[in-house]
Parts: sequence; C-alpha cells; structure tokens
Amino acid sequence: MTDLLEVRNISKYYSYKNGWLTPQRVCALEPISFSVKRGETIAIMGETGSGKSTIAKLISGAEVPSSGEIFLNGELLDPNNHQQRCREIRMIFQDSLRSLNPQLTIGKQLLESLLFNTKWSAAEQQEHVYVTLQKVGLLPDHFDFYPHMLSSGQQQRVCIARAIILEPQIIVADEAFAALDPSIRAQIINLILDLQEDMGISFIFASHSPEIVKHVADKILIMHRGKMIEFDSTQALLTNPKQQLTKMLLQSEQLNKALKHTTTQE
Amino acid sequence: MSNILDIRNLTIELETSAGTVKVLDKLSLQLAEGEIHTLVGESGSGKSLLAKAIMGFINPRWKITADRLWWRHYDLLALNPVQRRMITGRDMAMIFQNPGSYLDPNTKLGNQLRETIPQSELKGIYLRRKANRTVRAERLLHRVGIKDAEKVMNSYPHQLSEGVAQKVSIAMAIAHNPKLLIADEPTTAMEPNTRNQIYRLLAKLSASQGMSILMITQDLTSVIPESQRMSLVYCGQLMETGPTEKIMTEPFHPYTDAMLQMSFFNKELVPKTRLPTLTGAIPTLQHMPIGCRLGPRCPKSRRACIHQPRLSKVKQHQFACHFPLIEVETHD
Ligand SMILES: Nc1ncnc2c1ncn2[C@@H]1O[C@H](COP(=O)(O)OP(=O)(O)O)[C@@H](O)[C@H]1O
Ligand code: SF4
Ligand SMILES: [Mg+2]
Repeated sequence: MTDLLEVRNISKYYSYKNGWLTPQRVCALEPISFSVKRGETIAIMGETGSGKSTIAKLISGAEVPSSGEIFLNGELLDPNNHQQRCREIRMIFQDSLRSLNPQLTIGKQLLESLLFNTKWSAAEQQEHVYVTLQKVGLLPDHFDFYPHMLSSGQQQRVCIARAIILEPQIIVADEAFAALDPSIRAQIINLILDLQEDMGISFIFASHSPEIVKHVADKILIMHRGKMIEFDSTQALLTNPKQQLTKMLLQSEQLNKALKHTTTQE
Repeated sequence: MSNILDIRNLTIELETSAGTVKVLDKLSLQLAEGEIHTLVGESGSGKSLLAKAIMGFINPRWKITADRLWWRHYDLLALNPVQRRMITGRDMAMIFQNPGSYLDPNTKLGNQLRETIPQSELKGIYLRRKANRTVRAERLLHRVGIKDAEKVMNSYPHQLSEGVAQKVSIAMAIAHNPKLLIADEPTTAMEPNTRNQIYRLLAKLSASQGMSILMITQDLTSVIPESQRMSLVYCGQLMETGPTEKIMTEPFHPYTDAMLQMSFFNKELVPKTRLPTLTGAIPTLQHMPIGCRLGPRCPKSRRACIHQPRLSKVKQHQFACHFPLIEVETHD
C-alpha cells in the first residue's frame, strides 16, 4: 500500500531584516521526511519554538516550504495550487473564535468552501451543510447563528465542520485542544475518533498533552530546535524512548505520578 | 489547623437579560495558613469572580451576601472600601494567565519591578533608596529562580518567554510578602516543562514563607502534589471539597468522578476508545438549571436533583449531591 502522505526533505527558513543590518536567516525547520498512512494519527510534540506549528503550516499549505516536496497519494502537491490542497488537507487552529468570520452566519461560512470547490446546486449545498453540522454534533438551527452566539466548544465544532465539509483525507490541528474545558475537550476528541472511523481521515496534530497523545496517536514525532529527533510508534516511544526529551515530553503530570506512588505503596 | 480565610455560603448575584442570576451560589471555602488549596472549575464556574470577591475587586452592582467572609480577624463584608483596600494591599496578591498582557509593554521590567518594592522597607536618603531598590529587585528575581536578573531587568515584557514573564509577575506579587497569593490559571496553555517550573516555584514559596495559595485551574491534570486541599465548583456551586488525595482517589461526587475520567486518570482506559464525558454544554448565565446545576448533564440525576443538595460531611471531606458515588449515612 502506498502512503497517503509523504513528506520528503521539507524545510523552512524565515529571513527578516534587523534594522539596517543584512537580513538574517532563521531556520524554523531543518529538512525532515516522514510518511502517513490512511486513517493514521500522528502526534507532533516538542517545546515551544521547536517547529511543530511550522510542520503543520507546511502540510496544510498555509506556508510554502523553502525546500522539499510533499506527495499526496503518490502525486506531487504543487505549493501554489491551493484548490487541490484545500480539498484534501484541512487545518484546525487553537483559537477557534478568531479563525471564524464574526460577520457571517455559521451556515454561510460552511457554504463558502462548497461554492468554490464543488459544482453542486444551491439546494445540494445547503443539504450538505445540514448533514455536516449534524456530524459534528450541532443542529440545523445553528445554520443561522453567528459565531459569538456559540460556546467555545461549539465554535471548535464549527471549525471541525469546516474542516471536514469537503471530506478531506487529512486533518491537521495545531494545539486545538489546549484551551478547551475538560468536558468539551473529551467530546471533541471523541468526535475526531468517530470521524476517523467513519471517513478514514488521517489526523496530524501538535500537542503538549501526553495524555491526549497517548490516547489518540498511532505514531509520535518528537521535535527539538527545528529537528526531528525521534519518530516511532506510540508504543515504542513509551516503552523504549531513545531520547531523554521524548521521555520527558511523554511523562504524565506530577500529581498523577504522586498518586500512583501512594497507591502502589499501600 | 486554623483557617485564615473562611468563606461560608457566599452568594453573588448579577443582573442579566434573563433577570437576576446567582453566579456564585452558596459557595464555602476555607484556607489554612501556609496551605495550598486548589480550586478546580470549567469556564463559567465563577472561579475568577470568587478571587475578585476575596481581593475586594468588586463591582458595586453585584449583590454579595455571605454567612461569613472572614480574612484573619477581619469581617471583610463589614469593612469600608478604604479599609478593605488597605488589607488587600498589605496581605494579598494575585497572578493571572498571560502575564505578558498586564505587564506594561513600554516600560523595562527593572523599572516595573522597582516600583513594587514597598517604601517602608527602604531606608536612607533618595539615592541610597534608589540603589536599595535595585538590589531588592534583583534579590526578588533570584527568589523566583531567575539567574540572570540584570538581563531580565533590562528587557521589555515582549522579550521574555511565557515562563520567565510569569516568574517576573510572581516576583512582583510577592514583593510585599503577602500572606495570601491567588493564582488564577497561571499556567493554562503553557507547555508542561514551563508549567512544572512555575508549580515548583509556587510550592517552594508557600513552604518557605508560610504563604497561603489559592490555585485556580480548569483541569485536574494541573493539580500539584503539594496542594493539601481542593474544591471543585460547577456553575457557581460547590460540588466537592476536601483533602486532595481523598478527592482524587475516593470521590463522592459524580462531577469529580467525571472530571477524573475526562482527565485520563483512569489507568484502564484503552487507547482510541471513546472518553467518558459529560454530555451537552456548560449552560450560559441566562439558562442556569434550578436545583443542582449539574442536573441536565449528570449521569446520576433524578427528580430530587431539582432541589439543591446540602453539603454532606464525611470527616474532612464534604460534597453536595443527593446520590453520591459512595453511599453514606447523612443525619442532618
Ligand atoms: N513567520 C515567522 N517569522 C520568523 N520566524 C518564525 C516565524 N514563524 C516561526 N518562526 C520561528 O521558527 C521557529 C519554530 O517555530 P514554530 O514552528 O512556531 O514552533 P512551535 O510550534 O513548536 O512552538 C521558532 O524559533 C519561531 O520563532
Ligand atoms: S445532586 Fe443530582 S444532579 Fe447533582 S450531582 Fe448529585 S445526582 Fe447529579
Ligand atoms: Mg506552536
């Protein structure tokens, strides 16, 4: 079976001017290669500034890589062909409210992507929006709501609805769970697991939470200062991490440990 | 253990488009000297409002009632605003999420820090005082674990990482040696490594200075081991309170149980299985359920839940639920 997504030697350099000095070049991501199978979930972990968001942005097409190629189903993705990428790879962000347009109803925002990417009739489009709202646990009534009328969990659901409405093959998320309340976070994780099962979507996400990563990821990619330092199955990294950083990032919180300690003592 | 903060049945009512709503509904909380107490609640549970009520940052339009709202030997509700400010300023301090957003972006941190050194601790003539201030400011930075104090003093807030910015804000908060520090989600959205550093620092400050800390968080995964007691609130109502370890291992309340499950404390959880969670959403102020506010989302709710349960007590452990997870004999 060929891989769904293959990332080959992509890197990202940013250059910026520092006053009148010669432009400086910062390396956000050194050349990195990995591949993702259909339905597979990959977690990206690393400290702040290690390049997690950069990988997410390059895969979703929000930024153009400085070098390297990305293949989808064996086909080279043209960094400048947004339409192709837009359909197959969708991104969800941490700040759901800010990524929604406050002036447009939920329904209109969801219709937008259908307008540009399908040749369906208005009635078909409308119907598809209703179906998608239901898939993410919202109601047809929400079609006419504005973003500010929804709770943060519902806004995050709208973002997921927008991500899946074109039935993509890959969803990329950058810290999409960090700011959510625990009950809403658990609902959203369940929703993503359901959608993966129903639609075979691959899921690539950056996260700080060892608990979430252990629960949903098949493989984990560990980043350190723009370099991939480890990439393996979740099981392998839990039982046999080669890097100290991997061990540290996957460690559960202190109290968790403290409690385990007291219960084993009894 | 004597309580320095004693809150009994604190209620705060606000006017909303749907009439008067109790945003805090008979909330009780006690804090002992030198104790770390963790207050856990999802958004909209009234955590920050409680913090404001303790600090006296009160909007005159709120209606505040309580059987007791005592700080040491002061009845806070009986004090006038001037006395109240005096006591808050002397005894209490607060830190928040995103310290970068309330440090002054245009002033070097050294200057901001020097401002917070209390006048009373400085002696001598003007120049001497100024030099003293700098020394004191540097010492404060050392106390919060910042080694290169000089570099930080010469920086602007945006030049610091979130972890260092939060340490600076802690330094400012402890400058006048407060007896109570309220930390309102100080590490939400921080990466675990930085977050643990902040926790260790707060625990150390509490232990070495006998400072009490009210640590507010939205998540059970960020409760620190040093926290002796904790309380869970939902929509302004106290669900459960007691010794941290008891609550985490033998909860009485369905809400605590659900929070533990959702926070991955269940070790038997099989990867990729659906997480147990509360259904539905946190209600808005305009749509607060009557009785036990968890009712519409609670897996154990029954008819009786339309009446707000009273606090039941089992040793140090208290909870408000008609149908607790562990059967107990209650005799009121
Ligand atoms: N638009 C940009 N311009 C300049 N530098 C950037 C830009 N975006 C990211 N960087 C730098 O690239 C590095 C990696 O950043 P990022 O991918 O955001 O890390 P992470 O998501 O792991 O926190 C950081 O040093 C960051 O400062
Ligand atoms: S009182 Fe009823 S609704 Fe409230 S927590 Fe207990 S069982 Fe659930
Ligand atoms: Mg990032």
